[in-house]
Amino acid sequence: MPDNDLQRQWASELADLARSGVFTRREVLRKASAYGLSIPLIGTVLASFGTQTAASDANPGASTVDGRSTSSPTRSSSPMSSGAPGGILSIGALTPSTAVDPVVGFDAASIAIFQLTNEYLIGLNRDFTLRPQLATEWEPGDNGQRWMVTLREGVTFTDGTPFDAEAVTSSFARLLDPESPSSSAQSAFAGILEADGVSVDDTGNIVFELVRPYADFPYLISSNTYNAVILPTEYAGSYIDNPVGTGPFLLDSYSAAEGATLSRNESYWEAGKPLLDGVEFKFYQDPQAQVIALQSGEIDTQVTSQIGLLASLEGNGDYTIDEIESTGLNVLTMRVDTPPFDRKEVRQAVAFALDRVAINETLYNGVDTIGNDHLLAPAYPASPTDLPQRELDLARVEELLAGEEVRFTLTFDPPTRDYAVVLQEQLRQAGIEVELAQVTSDEFYAGDQESDTPWLFTQSNIVGWAGRAVPTQFINPMVKSGGIWNGSKYSNPVVDTAAETYDTSTDDEEKQAQARIIAEAMHDDTPIIITTWSTVIRPFNSARWTGITAHPSSYIELNDVTQA
Amino acid sequence: MIRWWTRRLGAVVITLMLTSVVVFALTNVIPGDVARRILGREASQASVDAKRMELGLDRPLVEQYGSWLVGFVRGDWGTSFTKQEPVRDLVLSHLGKSLVLAGITFAILLPVALSLGLIAGLRSGTRTDRTITVLGLCGTATPEFVSGVALLVLFSVRFSWLPPSARSEYGLKGLVLPVTALVIVCTGYVTRMVRASVVSTMERPYIRTARLKGISTVSLVRRHVLRNSMVVPVAALGVQLRYLLGGLIAVELLFNYAGIGSVLLEAAQQKDVPTLQAATLISGVTVMLTFVVSDLAYGALDPRVSMSKPR
Repeated sequence: MPDNDLQRQWASELADLARSGVFTRREVLRKASAYGLSIPLIGTVLASFGTQTAASDANPGASTVDGRSTSSPTRSSSPMSSGAPGGILSIGALTPSTAVDPVVGFDAASIAIFQLTNEYLIGLNRDFTLRPQLATEWEPGDNGQRWMVTLREGVTFTDGTPFDAEAVTSSFARLLDPESPSSSAQSAFAGILEADGVSVDDTGNIVFELVRPYADFPYLISSNTYNAVILPTEYAGSYIDNPVGTGPFLLDSYSAAEGATLSRNESYWEAGKPLLDGVEFKFYQDPQAQVIALQSGEIDTQVTSQIGLLASLEGNGDYTIDEIESTGLNVLTMRVDTPPFDRKEVRQAVAFALDRVAINETLYNGVDTIGNDHLLAPAYPASPTDLPQRELDLARVEELLAGEEVRFTLTFDPPTRDYAVVLQEQLRQAGIEVELAQVTSDEFYAGDQESDTPWLFTQSNIVGWAGRAVPTQFINPMVKSGGIWNGSKYSNPVVDTAAETYDTSTDDEEKQAQARIIAEAMHDDTPIIITTWSTVIRPFNSARWTGITAHPSSYIELNDVTQA
Repeated sequence: MIRWWTRRLGAVVITLMLTSVVVFALTNVIPGDVARRILGREASQASVDAKRMELGLDRPLVEQYGSWLVGFVRGDWGTSFTKQEPVRDLVLSHLGKSLVLAGITFAILLPVALSLGLIAGLRSGTRTDRTITVLGLCGTATPEFVSGVALLVLFSVRFSWLPPSARSEYGLKGLVLPVTALVIVCTGYVTRMVRASVVSTMERPYIRTARLKGISTVSLVRRHVLRNSMVVPVAALGVQLRYLLGGLIAVELLFNYAGIGSVLLEAAQQKDVPTLQAATLISGVTVMLTFVVSDLAYGALDPRVSMSKPR
C-alpha cells in the first residue's frame, strides 16, 4: 500500500521534529510505525538524523527491540538470538484464576498462552513501537477517523482454515458487541470504535471507521489491547478444547492445575520462526515456590515476577534479570468533591509529604521510575520533562495546611497493602493521620461502577493499573470529566480539551503541547498522586537461554529465543 | 451393629446437609461478585449483569441452592464458575491426589511414630527418651511451610537431589519432600501419645506379673504392651489423618501439589460456589469416614467398646 498524502505530511512533520532534536530516533520510529509509514518513507525520516538506516531498523515490523539499558545484576545487552535453535523452554506462571479464553482472559498466564498460539493485526514491541503481524500495512484517512489495514496473505490457522478478512471482522464483532465480556476491548474501544465500524473494502482490506479521529488507533488494534487476537470466524468459545490460531506455537495440552505444553507451529507464516521446539508453562499458586523452581532449574523464566523475591538470585551468574520501564502504576486517588480533599492545598500537602525515593527503595528495590503526579509517564515520548519534580518538603506541607488537622481513610486491597502502610507512615510523620481500610480484592472491585464500587467511590484509595501504550488510555477514563474510572471525580475543562486535541491531533508538536497542558494541570490540581512508575522485570536462566526479554506489558515473545 | 451403622450414616447425611447450607449461606454473605471476578474490574456493568444471569446468580438464593442440591444428588455437580471445567472431575481428581499424599504420609508416620513412642516409653527417663521427645516437639512446633522451605532449599536448590515440587511429572519422587515435611510435623504429637500410653501400660500389675514369670522383653511388648497401649494413640492418629485429608493448604501451595486444599482455598477466594460446595462436602465425607475408621479401630483394640451402644 503506497503512502498517502496524510502519511507524507506526517512524515514531513516527523522529519522536522527529528532535525530540530525534539524527537529521538526511537521516538521517530515509534511514531512512524503507528502512522503505518512505508519503509522507504521511514528511511527518509530517519535520514534527518544524518544516519543511514538499515531496512530492518526502519521497518516497523522488525521484531528487534531497542536494547534499552538494564540495571539488573546480570544485564542482557541484546535480546537478539545468537545461540542454537531447538529446546523446550519452561515458563513459570501463577495459576490462572479463570479459564483461558482469548476474548475474555485478563490474567498474565492466560494472556501469555494465547499470545503464543494466536496473533494480532499488529504487535506491540517492548519499546512501544508497532510491528506488522497479521496486518502488513495500515494507513489513516479522513484525518485519522478512518484506518485502512492490509492483511497478510498466505496465512492459515492451525486447523488449515485460511486467514481472511472475515476472520478479522468476526473477531472485532465479538469484541465490539455491547455485551462483550472482553474488558480490555471495552476499555480500549469505548467512544472510538463501534460494532458497525468494521468492514471490508473492494480490495479485501479492512476499514475501521471511527467515531472520532484517533491518531493512535493502530495501538488499539495491536497487542496493547490483549483481547484483540484474531480468531477463526466460527470461534464460539471453549478455547482450550479447540485452540485454533495463527501464532508461532500450537497448544498441545492444558491442565488448569498443572500448566500447558505448546509445540512449534511448523506452518507458521514467518519463515524459520520460532526457533524453539516448544514451550512448557508450569503453574504455581505461590510466588515463593516459583522462585525456588527457578533456582532449582524446574523453570527457566517467569511470566511475572516480584523484584523483592529475587534477592536469592543476586550474584548467581547463571541468571539474568532483564528490566524495562513500563507505564504501569499504583494510583493514590483523592476525591476532590469530598472533604478534606475538596481543597487543592490539602491534596498538594499530601503529595509533598511523600518521600518518593524512599518508597521506590523500600518497596521496589529502587528499580521503578519516580512519578510526578500526572499521567504522562516518562516512557511516553510526549512526556514533559521540564515540570518541577515533587519531592518531600515538610515545610511546604506545613505552609499548605496552615495548621489544619487532616485525617482521612485510605481504602485498598491486598496487592497494595505494603504501599498503603508506607504511605500511612510517611504521612504520619508529616502530621497527616491516615486510617487504613483494607478490603478483599473482590469487595474492592464489587458493586456498581456508576454508584458505589469502593475503588471509584471511597474518599481515598489505591488502585493498581497495568501499563498502556497510549497516555490518553489512562487520561480519558481516569481524569477526564465524567470518565468511567474517574475515582477522584476530578473535572477540569482544560484537561478535557487537551485530551481531545491530543487524541485527534496528527501533529506531534501539537501532541507534546497538549500533553504538557494535561501534565501541568494535573500536577497543580493533584487529583491523584503517582509516586512511581513500575519497571517490569523478567529473570531467566541465561546459562541455558538467550533472547528472553522483559516487556512493559509482561508479554512473552519467544520467536527469537534460542539455547545459549 | 446395623443400628450403629444406621445411626452413623444418618448423622453423616444430616451433618453434610447442614454443612452445605452453611457454606452456601456464607458464600452469599462474603462481599464480592464472581461475575466481576471472571470478567475483570474493567468490564462494564452490562456485561457483568449478563454474566450473572448466565451463571444463574440472578435467581432467588433458595432456588439456586435447591437446583444445586438436586443436581448434586443426581451426580451433576455443575461447572466451575471460574475454571469452566466440570466440578466433579475437578474435585475428584484433586481429592485423589490428597488421598495419595495423606496415604503415603500416614503409611510412614504410623511405624515411625509408633516405634519412636515405644522406644521412648520403654526407656522412659533415659537420654534416648529425652532425645526423642525433644526432637519430636521441635518437629511439631515447626510449621510445615518452614520445614518445607528448608527442605527445598537444601535438597532441591543446593544439592539438586530432589525435585522442587510435587508436580505429577515427577511421580513419587516429587512426593518425598512434602511427605517428609508432613511426617516431621505430625510425628512428635503421635510419638508423645504413644510414649505416655506405653509408660502407663508398663506400670500396670499384669506387666509386672509377666516380668516375674520370666517372659522375654520382645514377647512382653508384642503380647501385652503394644495392644494395650494403642487405644489412646488411635485417637491421635485419627486426628492426624483428618488433618492430612482435610486439605494441607500450606504444603500444597509450597510444593505445588494439586490437592483438595488448594481447590477449597481457590474456590472460597473466588466465590466459585459449585466447586466450593462439592469440595466441602467431599472433604466432609472423607473426614467422617476417618471417624468411622477410628471407631472401628477402637472396637478392635478394646473389646469393652461396643458398637451396639452409643458411647
